[in-house]
Amino acid sequence: MNPQSLLPSVPEFLAILPEISLVILIVAVLAYDRILKPAERRRVGLLAAWGSIVILLITVGLWVLFREPEPNRSLVESLMWGGMIRNDLITLIFRVMFLVAVAIVSLISLDVPALQRGEYFALLLSATIGFSLMAAGSDMIMLFLAIETASISLYILTGFLTDDRRSTEAGIKYFVYGAFASAIMLYGLSLVYGITAQTNIYVIASLVAQSGAIPPEINGLFLLATVMIVAGFGFKISAVPFHFWTPDAYEGAPAPVTAFVSTASKAAGFAVTIRVFAAGALGAPNFDSEWWAMLVAITIVTMTLGNILAIFQSNIKRMLAYSSIAQAGYTLIGLVALTPDGSGAAMFYLLMYVFTNVAAFGVVVLVSRETGSDDMQDFYGLSRRAPYLALAMLFALLSLGGIPPTAGFIGKFFIFKAAVDAGLWWLALIGVLNAFIGLYYYLSVVKYMYLYRSDDEEERIPVSRAASVALALSVLGIIYLGIAAGPAFEWTRQAGAAFFPFSG
Amino acid sequence: MLADWQFIGIFLALSPIFPAAPVIANWLLGPRKPNPLKQQTYECGVETVGDTWIQFKVQYYIYALVFVVFDVEAVFLFPIAAAYDQLGLFAAFEVVVFVLILAVGLGYAWSRGALEWT
Repeated sequence: MNPQSLLPSVPEFLAILPEISLVILIVAVLAYDRILKPAERRRVGLLAAWGSIVILLITVGLWVLFREPEPNRSLVESLMWGGMIRNDLITLIFRVMFLVAVAIVSLISLDVPALQRGEYFALLLSATIGFSLMAAGSDMIMLFLAIETASISLYILTGFLTDDRRSTEAGIKYFVYGAFASAIMLYGLSLVYGITAQTNIYVIASLVAQSGAIPPEINGLFLLATVMIVAGFGFKISAVPFHFWTPDAYEGAPAPVTAFVSTASKAAGFAVTIRVFAAGALGAPNFDSEWWAMLVAITIVTMTLGNILAIFQSNIKRMLAYSSIAQAGYTLIGLVALTPDGSGAAMFYLLMYVFTNVAAFGVVVLVSRETGSDDMQDFYGLSRRAPYLALAMLFALLSLGGIPPTAGFIGKFFIFKAAVDAGLWWLALIGVLNAFIGLYYYLSVVKYMYLYRSDDEEERIPVSRAASVALALSVLGIIYLGIAAGPAFEWTRQAGAAFFPFSG
Repeated sequence: MLADWQFIGIFLALSPIFPAAPVIANWLLGPRKPNPLKQQTYECGVETVGDTWIQFKVQYYIYALVFVVFDVEAVFLFPIAAAYDQLGLFAAFEVVVFVLILAVGLGYAWSRGALEWT
């Protein structure tokens, strides 16, 4: 072998530049944590936040200045590092989501004393590396490793408050459930490898598309592998019936971690799911495939069950957990539409969901730190205790519910439109009906904040500067994506086409 | 194809006999003369004291985790060393980066006092 050929090219380096920078940032965060005196620990979080903002600027800058990743590359050209990852617009957009999420979450957790530790921010960043590689991965081995990198960091983060019973319980539950789901998914992936003798999902997809490449006798085995892989992916995106961990883990985890798990982790799960299924690695992406029927069933159940269970919650974190299950259902509509527009709409939805849910959980962090619980009653009379917090929460809830001036409305509109365009008007109808159910419990919280009174209205809720910057950024994101969605949607739509390399 | 599995079948059928035969023969042929000394839990060694479910120092875990750093390092360095002739300068550079990342982990654990036994 010629040694020279082992030297990677410049585009290959640029393809993993965000990950390289994240590794450097982790090392810096850990080293900085050791240098600082205990009283100055807050600065570790500042370094993590600023560092992730810089990496975000690098990632976006590569796109704006150098058109990297080049959108006109063919499939083969965009596969990097021996087919391990694919550097395309999808990867870029998801990376932007993850970096925005990690930056805002770092800002929110800056002033939470229990989280002012180097390990916390290092784990947040290592989970981000995992997410980023999940979005880029185009090989089953890479995908599995990335999912594990992300998951293991999140298990520890969920149980990070070691002297809080609920947090450790949530961590253990998440870990046990997650390890089980990973094992099942890995079995599914190994069956696919056994059938096709390939690990690259695009190679597998082209094999599956050839008639006769998979003998009819083992179609059942292939379907079994698909079911197992759906179980693993369903766990990541917390789709029903793989959602049981969600309320417990979201309730027990430190609220900034919940914000991170419910946005970035879910987006990463969707990145993998859409990439694998839209490429056709588990059967052609059309309405005759068995997996399509399976996913449609999951979509409908996820939306409906998530919304109905959310109505009965009296704990705000549990309510947002069930709401996030329902939101996963809406996003799945974008996938099962099986069009570039649908996948683009799903990506846009996840992008707006990052801003929306981080804002909602940011308010929950600040309120529950003051009141010491996560009960819905804490929000009674919030508009008098902290008018700006209530306003931020109002925008987040309106966006979650899908009310016009916010991003949530546009996101739902694009999703349902893609479904109708694909001929799935009945699925869009179910989605719209579910959005109505969702409005009930979102607007209940608005009612508590603005119409109800509480006994301790005189006590203001202190908001640190970092947290107010984070909330302001998220709310600006919600409004911007709500009133000027055009460029962002055009961007995601262009990326959506890259999900379907074999059709059209 | 099926013929290949015959051998495994024969192996599976025969293999339990070999460990079982001495145990059964011992049971059938051996004389039985019990006395209190022989009936003790540990016929050889020391009688246990106290409960089996005791807490032991949590630092054993930390030590084990730090050891994993070296463990992983060795596992990955070995194939690289074996293929060193065919790899270029770039691979050597990659190895350096890899070892450095692990060294940072070790250094962090060290500075947090994980290697101090108190």
